[in-house]
Amino acid sequence: MRRRRALTIALFAVLALTVAACGTTNPTAQLKEGGTITIDNESGTLWTCGFNPFNANVNSFAFGPVYEPLVYNNLLNGKTTPMLASSYKWSSDSKTLTFTTRSGVKWTDGQPFTAADVVYTFKLMKTNSALDLQSVWTVLSDVTQQGSDQVVMTFTTPAVPYFYYIAGQVAIVPEHIWSQIKDPVGENMPKPIGTGPFTVGDCTPQNIPYLRNPNYWQAGLPHIAKVNYPAFLDNDPANAYLASGQAQWGGQFIPNIDTYYVAKDKDHHHYWFPPIQNVNLFLNLTLKPLDDKLVRQALAYGIDRPKVSKIGEYGYQPAGSQTGIVIPTFNDWYDSSQAAKYDYKFNPAKAQSLLQQAGFTKGSDGIFKDSAGKRLSFTVISISGYTDWTASLQVVRDNLKEIGVEIKEQDLSHDDYFNKLFLGQFQMGYGSLSNSPGPNPYYELRNTLYSQTSAAIGQTASGDYGRWTDPATDRLIEQFGATTSTAEQHNIMKQIQGIMLEQVPVIPVTESVAWYQYSTKGFGGWPTRDDPYAAPAPWNIPDWEQVLLRVHAT
Amino acid sequence: MTYLLRRLEFFVVTLWAALTLNFILPRLLPGGPEVALRTRFHGRVNPAAIKSLEVALGVNNNDSPFQQYLSYLGNLLHGDFGVSIGFFPKHVVDVIMLALPWTVGLVGMATVIAFVLGTLIGIVSAWRRGGVLDSVLPSIFVVTSAFPYFWIGLICIYVFSITLGWFPQAFGSSSEVSSEWSWTYISDVLVHSILPAFTIVLTSIGGWVLTMRNNMITTLAEDYVKMARAKGLSPARIMFHYAARNAILPNLVGFAMSLGFVISGALLVEIVFNYPGLGTFLRQAVNNEDFPLMQSLFLLITLAVLLAVTAADFLTAWLDPRTRERA
Repeated sequence: MRRRRALTIALFAVLALTVAACGTTNPTAQLKEGGTITIDNESGTLWTCGFNPFNANVNSFAFGPVYEPLVYNNLLNGKTTPMLASSYKWSSDSKTLTFTTRSGVKWTDGQPFTAADVVYTFKLMKTNSALDLQSVWTVLSDVTQQGSDQVVMTFTTPAVPYFYYIAGQVAIVPEHIWSQIKDPVGENMPKPIGTGPFTVGDCTPQNIPYLRNPNYWQAGLPHIAKVNYPAFLDNDPANAYLASGQAQWGGQFIPNIDTYYVAKDKDHHHYWFPPIQNVNLFLNLTLKPLDDKLVRQALAYGIDRPKVSKIGEYGYQPAGSQTGIVIPTFNDWYDSSQAAKYDYKFNPAKAQSLLQQAGFTKGSDGIFKDSAGKRLSFTVISISGYTDWTASLQVVRDNLKEIGVEIKEQDLSHDDYFNKLFLGQFQMGYGSLSNSPGPNPYYELRNTLYSQTSAAIGQTASGDYGRWTDPATDRLIEQFGATTSTAEQHNIMKQIQGIMLEQVPVIPVTESVAWYQYSTKGFGGWPTRDDPYAAPAPWNIPDWEQVLLRVHAT
Repeated sequence: MTYLLRRLEFFVVTLWAALTLNFILPRLLPGGPEVALRTRFHGRVNPAAIKSLEVALGVNNNDSPFQQYLSYLGNLLHGDFGVSIGFFPKHVVDVIMLALPWTVGLVGMATVIAFVLGTLIGIVSAWRRGGVLDSVLPSIFVVTSAFPYFWIGLICIYVFSITLGWFPQAFGSSSEVSSEWSWTYISDVLVHSILPAFTIVLTSIGGWVLTMRNNMITTLAEDYVKMARAKGLSPARIMFHYAARNAILPNLVGFAMSLGFVISGALLVEIVFNYPGLGTFLRQAVNNEDFPLMQSLFLLITLAVLLAVTAADFLTAWLDPRTRERA
């Protein structure tokens, strides 16, 4: 009996071990291969099936999964992941940047990728300035190859923040293909050759299929076999498609998302909207009385940001901070003690006392007037068709009316609106910068405040639409660009926040977010609040490559 | 013959007027290609970059408006419609060809079906005035015609796609079927077109039913119809050859017009069903300030309507000897 019992125990032990081995996930185990992901992102147009990464119209369909950057910069936290460059190094004066290119990488036509391809790509953008979408040659002075695998870039000024544009936003193309192309600006590139994890399959005006590159340089990646990117002409069909579970990855604005999307499949449908950029009330500082700090402060106290977020944005876009820091995304840059000192909450009493201090008196119609009897009344331009922003602006209008300032809304077409901002032909404007934000608050604040990006009224400004001209601000922005020390950068950012709070050159009202929906039905590995390995919307370029590398069938 | 000549003359003059308006109107819009380009570069204007893109697009040259007008007419004669701004670097013709077959297929077929079906129902219900068919169908279709396109479309999607799952809810074809001419592809396209076509037919058939029925009733009271009955002709012959042939005349021009407008697509149906048609391109072109595409689409619509109306004129001349005599 004893023996038999021992045998039984042994058997059980073996069984238990086997079961345990099956139950625990082995970290080295291969994730499931295969599966098709469908992306749901309304573009309002059919596909042209062109994949020229230098064409601003189609760049977002080529850059990432097909053409890769040198280094991936996470838009949400600034973490870098080496891609085509295995390493990089700044010189001590921050004017020379040396990349070491990765060995063993092949273009999808089988040719090896080399440092010469990198040099060629940058030279191509220099000779054809229409290809230089990031304007990198405004700071670059030369790009040369050194040895077999090094690329040396020299800059005209210290250019640490430009790393994001140069390493993170330029798609590297193969010299052996592009040197044969006569007109790279007008090139359609229907069958792109890149180094990325996917190639383009049989593209139609309605769908772009991306197929797994079996020879991708990161062995074992990507996990999924195919990605479909259908062309959605309008939000409603795109949202319906996503809610019905036919697409797994969305970048959509969905009103009432909990009822419309999550409730359709509570166990699998999820969303996460990380804020990435401010939505501002831009003020034209060349106009009276907006050149008066007290008036600007009064306006900042006169907007109920949480209410704007709740009513105009369904709460999906959180309230903005007058520091200019997008929170919670960039919380570690945020100077809460300075912000608390100013405490820019909706405070009509304080706003009105500031206006009185600035020499305005309240008229019989409830609107403040200056000594000459001119009412505090402004026209705000905004983009027609951005319905949530229009709704937000109505809340702002009601708020400001309460403090005795009148604003009138004027809806313009997208291009017309930005053109007026660029040229400075506006009183106030509501919206975000035209430039995309970067992996830390510096990028947005530089484009918002740096007078070098500005221009005289009537001239095209690439940033600083309000024409904020302040030597102290400029100096801080330049110092930030010259240092690689994080502590120093944080210190400078604190001072910039001080200027935002005291001078109010622009008023952040809400924060625009990366719209992101994902379904865990059959797939895992998505970026989440707890694992923000990439900006998660399919239109975050080139972040979507990182998502497509990690997502896997379950 | 003089009648036909006069119609041709009218066609040529109208065409010229349309072409000229088509040249002027986009130039009256605020903004312009250079504004669109500046926005595309986020205001980081690199003058050289803008210049080279302008050359690639063929915009903003320093010709006088009259020279531009002449080269515009010349280019049209050569079928050169320029490069699209929104779909750069594609040529406008290529862009239009992406969507034209879908629009002509879907909206064209739906319009023909609605006309044929509506006319037949109108004929029969007038013939059996007060009968079951006459008291049910025209009233139903008049009601459905009053509904907006997109509303019927949304209801159809909700009922037949999302709830019942019988039909696909979006797109002109499935992404998993390759777009080669095969039976699977054709049937896939047909399945995708059923709901949008049904929506168009349902909302446009009422007009045809009603006008045809009323025309028929007037015609049936004519002496020659009584005469035909007296002669003892078969009811079918009287209905179609005597009454319908005359009653349909006023509807032909209307039908020709709606065929012409097929080119402009059924914007709302295309949006609701995410169908790859021309209507959405037109909207896109206006939003993008894509002048070459906008001009070409307007031109195409004008041309299609003009051609259809002229064809209807010829058809009327053939069906109705009186028009020939009067001329």
